[in-house]
Amino acid sequence: MVVKKAAPIFANKEDSNFREALKLYDAKQYKKALKLVETNLKKNANHAESLALKGCANYQLGHKDEAEPYILKAVGKGPDNYLVNHLAGIYYRSVENYPEAAKWLKAANDNGSPNKPILRDLSFMQTQIRDYKNLKDSRQQFLEHQPGYRANWTAVAIAHHLNKDYASAVSTLTKIEGIIKDHLTDADAYEQSECVLYKNSIIAEAGDYAQALKVLDEDEDQIRDQLSFLEYKAKYLMLLGSKKEASLIYRTLLKRNPDNMHYYNLLEASLETLDKPIEFRLKLYERLASFYPRSDPPKFLPLTFVPASSPLFEAKAREYIIPQLTKGVPATFVNVKPLYKDQKKLKVIESIVVDFYNKEASESSNPTIKLWTTYFLAQHYLYLNNLTKASEHIDAALKHSPTLVELYIIKARILKHEGKILEASEVMDQGRKLDLQDRFINSKTTKYLLRANKVNEAIDCISLFTKLDEDAVNGCKDLHVMQCNWVLVESAEAYSRMYKDFEVKLEELRKAGPAEGEEESFKELENDLIENIEIYKGLSLKRFQAVVKIFKIFFNDQYDFHSYCMRRGTPRDYVETLKWEDKIHATPIYTRVLKGLSEFYFDIHESLATKKTEEEPVVIKKNNKKLKKLQAQATKKRAELISKVESEKEDADPLGAKLLQDLTNDKDIIERLFELFKPLIQEGSGLILTWETLYRIYLIQGKYVLALQAIKSLNKILNPYGSENKFKTIGKKVVELSETSKNDDNANAAIVKVIEKGLISAFPDFENGNILEVYTQ
Amino acid sequence: MGITIRQATINDIQAMQNANLHNLPENYQLKYYMYHILSWPQASFVATTYDEVEGFGDEEEQDEDNLKQPIACDPKGDSAYISKGEKIVGYVLGKMEDDPEAEDKTPHGHITSLSVMRTYRRMGLAEKLMRQSLYAMCESFGAQYVSLHVRKSNRAALHLYRDSLAFKVTTIEKSYYQDGEDAYAMKLELKLEELVPSKARQVIEDDLSKDLLEGL
Repeated sequence: MVVKKAAPIFANKEDSNFREALKLYDAKQYKKALKLVETNLKKNANHAESLALKGCANYQLGHKDEAEPYILKAVGKGPDNYLVNHLAGIYYRSVENYPEAAKWLKAANDNGSPNKPILRDLSFMQTQIRDYKNLKDSRQQFLEHQPGYRANWTAVAIAHHLNKDYASAVSTLTKIEGIIKDHLTDADAYEQSECVLYKNSIIAEAGDYAQALKVLDEDEDQIRDQLSFLEYKAKYLMLLGSKKEASLIYRTLLKRNPDNMHYYNLLEASLETLDKPIEFRLKLYERLASFYPRSDPPKFLPLTFVPASSPLFEAKAREYIIPQLTKGVPATFVNVKPLYKDQKKLKVIESIVVDFYNKEASESSNPTIKLWTTYFLAQHYLYLNNLTKASEHIDAALKHSPTLVELYIIKARILKHEGKILEASEVMDQGRKLDLQDRFINSKTTKYLLRANKVNEAIDCISLFTKLDEDAVNGCKDLHVMQCNWVLVESAEAYSRMYKDFEVKLEELRKAGPAEGEEESFKELENDLIENIEIYKGLSLKRFQAVVKIFKIFFNDQYDFHSYCMRRGTPRDYVETLKWEDKIHATPIYTRVLKGLSEFYFDIHESLATKKTEEEPVVIKKNNKKLKKLQAQATKKRAELISKVESEKEDADPLGAKLLQDLTNDKDIIERLFELFKPLIQEGSGLILTWETLYRIYLIQGKYVLALQAIKSLNKILNPYGSENKFKTIGKKVVELSETSKNDDNANAAIVKVIEKGLISAFPDFENGNILEVYTQ
Repeated sequence: MGITIRQATINDIQAMQNANLHNLPENYQLKYYMYHILSWPQASFVATTYDEVEGFGDEEEQDEDNLKQPIACDPKGDSAYISKGEKIVGYVLGKMEDDPEAEDKTPHGHITSLSVMRTYRRMGLAEKLMRQSLYAMCESFGAQYVSLHVRKSNRAALHLYRDSLAFKVTTIEKSYYQDGEDAYAMKLELKLEELVPSKARQVIEDDLSKDLLEGL
């Protein structure tokens, strides 16, 4: 890979040896390469190229700890040597340290390396670390090296686009379109279509919709993706005020896909019917429903705009609900549930279904109609938290149809709401047994078992649908490989509940103290509890961290696409992917894991702060024989547990004990937590979790100005659209921050004043001294 | 909120993977979903639903007491959700055949995976997802036919492919699945003009010739 033409720097024996070693390295003959450079280093310990190659060869041969020291030494000796730079770049790329890799690959190029593919590798690193400014140069230089490939033009255009230099992006794409125009074959048609649409989307993003529309029409015959063509065109027409024309496009889009709700909304906007009387809009939807009788939106959408007070709502709701109940659509209830936000609509729907239940459904010769109506009502009463009525309905349904799986799902959910979590999991399991082929009900059962803290049973259950490795007792490893995040996070939370339960038990035990003459068994019990706490704490941390690890993979997954998408010709979705990766830490599962971890870290921090040299578990003196037997039992039990919870083959820390120990020993656990939350400052700035947690972190760290900012950000989220509600949680934090900063002897007096002033200006009630009485929501 | 069927984007893939892991035994790492979206962006679709409706049209009706006071809260920590309140209940993951070793060089599509959450069945979602994907494969990639595999024991899927979508069984592949079960290999010839999704079982067509608001 490190190509070197005959060059003057190979003047002596060392250099020619090195050249030979480089060839061997490129041929993956790492051992031989290493041997050669070692001969060199014996003669000249400062030979920078040899040092660098030794680092790389060590890495390839698995001596990973003996790699970086040589790289560092090499770049110290030869910082301007492009071969050394390149090897350093290669090393850092292998260890996925992209910032360092980018730095050294760039140095190799800047120091005159004739090896042009470096530029391509460099551009991948720069994209990975979002150094778009320098990306533009490396993509451009590589294009100049190889202008004969469209991919390289697309890559330059993307780099301009990422720098928001729309004009350069468009001109680059236009230029290559011109060059390639007469040489396109059928095989290029898809790429051409995508690139033309990409260019169009950039023109629009720059705000010139008239130009975008003009170019779109000119390019129409090149565009295969008619869906994008029509969506773009309709959007431009709307933005340019040609609503009538846009409406025809939305009608065309509906013909392609009458099940996309957004098209109906956009059609109405283009027809300017949103302000028309309800009766008029209803007729429009009736007409649309006649065109698209099998589609849901034209039937459902009227229910959102017809007010509950109108008799038309009752009629339309009936038309929507009754056929679904008659057909036995399981989702009938969830389909109308969003309407329940309006209490009056809820009441109307309730009376429709109750009425139907009492009359038509009961009188029908088809008993399943009544069954599905009962199923609806059970969910309805569950929503209203009327658990008695919900139970009555679901029990009646179950009595009638004990083999219908869906009923068990609702029955279990009702039990869960009653707090009977264990019973809920048992009911779900009964449902599962009725359809062993179906993974969905298996997943539900797994989830409920996890909620009941029955982790082993849950994993056994889901293992009916996972791959089983040889010698594995369950599918735990496969769940990790397949990135089954929902199970991992539910497991982490279950283990966390379990260790907390044991903590409570331990506290109770210690409070009660040993009974007279029972000291030995008391100690045994105590040790047992301590051990369980440690095990489940470790496992909980281990599972949370497994998801963190998977998200690192998710982020690194983009790497291959920095080159693939250029060749493939899918620039639009590629740019979307970069944006998606930039927000990946704010997605639901990851934020849930962060929440779990933050509780974990805060707990450890607090227990360390209040720790009063906890006594070590006392070793019970026993005769040797008994002790040995006990130890053997414990070892066996532990091995059994490990076989069940191992997340990867030959995991060095299957129980997360080391993870936990490292964390507990960490002098700066709060800073570790900050590192986890840091990405959310950008990616999750609209999340309550972000500012709640950062506030606590900053407060502990004595970063009071940042803590003040966090309260303000939190207040903004809690008050969307500029409302001015006064929330308890804000009032409490204002007071807490003020008091903490004032009582902190290490705090700079000027800062404390700034905080006080800042709090008063942001929350004027604070000055009156009654903020806690005012902030009560 | 009823259901919306729309093209899948990169923002949907975590939730698609989640749905797949809930419903089917054949699972894939996220990168494989990325590969689908970034190779054949037009070929995959999702069915989504909303927990809550924002911005209803009849505000004057919905006085404050009538509406449940919306309290700001974070999206649910559930991987079915792709944004606040919007969750994925079904998906179809489609691709074009790209195996250089494949015998047949005519462009053709393949359905990698299709599933709908059990609680959202009987609404024809699987069929709707399939029709969108077939149409897009044919239109954007010139697919002349599409192929797929189905478990021999999966009667519901067989019914969908054979009876609703007119797929034909081409062969039976012995022990195709990990657990040893046989698969039916199925195939459908694609003709764009016959594939327009709204024309399936349609009675009256919007021929776009009339003013949509005429006579209302």
